[in-house]
Amino acid sequence: MNTFKLKIITPEKIFYEGEAVQIIAKTAAGNVGILAGHTPYVANVVPSPLKISENGTDFRIAAVSSGIVKSENNIVTVVTTAVEWAEDIDVARAERSKERAERELAARASDKEFRHAEQRLKRALNRLTVSGKM
Amino acid sequence: MATANMKDVKRRIKSVESTMQITKAMQLVASSKLRRAKERALAAQPFFAALYDTMSDISNDPAFTSIYTKKKVLKSTLFVVIAGDRGLAGGFNSNVLKLASQKVEELLEKKEKVSVICVGRKAVEYCEKRGYDVVGRFPQVAESLNIVDAEDIADEIIEKFRCAYYDQVDMVYTTFVSALTQEPVAVSVLPVQDLATGVRSKSLTEYDPSPEEVFDGLIPQYLTGLIYAAVVDSFASEQAARRTAMESASDNAEEMINNLSLLYNRARQAMITQELTEISSASLNDSE
Repeated sequence: MNTFKLKIITPEKIFYEGEAVQIIAKTAAGNVGILAGHTPYVANVVPSPLKISENGTDFRIAAVSSGIVKSENNIVTVVTTAVEWAEDIDVARAERSKERAERELAARASDKEFRHAEQRLKRALNRLTVSGKM
Repeated sequence: MATANMKDVKRRIKSVESTMQITKAMQLVASSKLRRAKERALAAQPFFAALYDTMSDISNDPAFTSIYTKKKVLKSTLFVVIAGDRGLAGGFNSNVLKLASQKVEELLEKKEKVSVICVGRKAVEYCEKRGYDVVGRFPQVAESLNIVDAEDIADEIIEKFRCAYYDQVDMVYTTFVSALTQEPVAVSVLPVQDLATGVRSKSLTEYDPSPEEVFDGLIPQYLTGLIYAAVVDSFASEQAARRTAMESASDNAEEMINNLSLLYNRARQAMITQELTEISSASLNDSE
């Protein structure tokens, strides 16, 4: 199977670097699958599960927060502020931050706090979804 | 009199010794923190480079416009000032804060509106004391800064910029040049400038949904990366400055101990000599 070079970059480290057959990322418009030889392409990624296949049949799943996905010359780069493998997610912590965000949303504080809480809730829900605990 | 003097000197030696122990320990802590901070600063490079590349690619399109790149008439400026949480780091805090206040005052003189977001306890204290309009306080984030903190700061900036409270955002922080030199710098953050403008041609890349939206969508990440990198850079500088300061403090303490020991030994010798003279003169008197 044709492979392409995949790089997942966060400010803290290069999270992943290697050959992959397919990735499925979620953009604002919906899921986008990228295979080897994709045309040059750039899109924003929303907090979601990112599916990566190294052999074409099995998918590894990682939780990504917002960022971009970029394909160029058979190199696909995912640049995001935070990413975690599904199996590494601390479910208890995600539960806690979900509950906290929900409480804050219920408290209906200022506009800004509301949006912050909403974002936190989205992140927490995403991580819970990815870890398969929801 | 000699005994009293000796006791004093001994006490001083002891106190200098214990101070030296502290400065030595701080020096060691700072060197190990410096090493870690340097690694973090290095690790942030690829993220930033990738975003920057994409942004310059997009902005090379002749039809491209974004509220984040438009130059406006300067009327109000937001400064992000990054300093340390603790002192005892030589001129680290005062250098960066001096540059910040110079920049702020320059604009205040022109009757422009200036607000400040402070990162680090020293920056908060300084700006509040000076009576600047502090709109954001982020003390004690530098050491264990994670990406969520940086996102919070970036969110705050973007929101204010989008609402057009400010038409320029600048950042003042200390950049790590080498273990011996750290330089305070002021950089402009928004509007985004100096994107590599090579040949302005329509690129073949497909942007989903549009170049403008991709660009505006990645601004939060760009800013987060920028702030993260600056705080990490500043933290590395702080540790390097502290290490140098503590190193020279330890050296000075050592020199003081040497001088004091010399004084102490002299006093001791003087006392022995005096005692000998007393004994011999006494025995002379006895034999007469």
